[in-house]
Amino acid sequence: MLSHFLLMVLYALLVGLFFSLLWRRGRREQVKLFLQIFLGMVGGGLLVAWLMYPFPSGPPAPIP
Amino acid sequence: MAESGSTSAPPAPVTLPQGNPVVAVLSAWLIPGMGHIYLKRRLRGLAFLVLVIAALLIGCRLEGNLYQVVPGQPLTVLATLGSMGMGIPYFLLRYGLHYQGNVRGAGYEYGTAFLLTAGLMNLLLVLDAWDIVRGKKE
Repeated sequence: MLSHFLLMVLYALLVGLFFSLLWRRGRREQVKLFLQIFLGMVGGGLLVAWLMYPFPSGPPAPIP
Repeated sequence: MAESGSTSAPPAPVTLPQGNPVVAVLSAWLIPGMGHIYLKRRLRGLAFLVLVIAALLIGCRLEGNLYQVVPGQPLTVLATLGSMGMGIPYFLLRYGLHYQGNVRGAGYEYGTAFLLTAGLMNLLLVLDAWDIVRGKKE
């Protein structure tokens, strides 16, 4: 449950389904918007992760 | 002056759906998807209910933060209003189940995002129900 990637996919799935149902009526249009949102979020997340890969992560911040 | 002769089609009559705007908006806020169910969009309403509750349950499972106002931190007011957008579930979690996130939990930040998203999604559903009942949307 705590896999970063799984949670990102789950979040993109929920948001994609929600907005495709909210903003589109036809089934074809809904699927198209869903794929745009889902792939945009997951692909964008992977792209940002890839861009950040060379940078060191450093020690975790202390919890107040 | 003579008419140019161009004929433009008359605007399509707007048919308002059956329903009271106040009831539609209130029910949409209190129970996710209920506004759409009230406006005879049952399948969509049920789908929205499932999606919002799923986001809520995942957020709770990850022990995310259910925002409340913290004195001296004005941004928590906005976050609290956003979270309250989920309606009854917010108050049930906050005051009925005394839910508190776990800041030391591994999924705290993710859970907070899911919980806040549930509230914001339901606020959009309230606006959507308002548009439907006013005839601005199908």
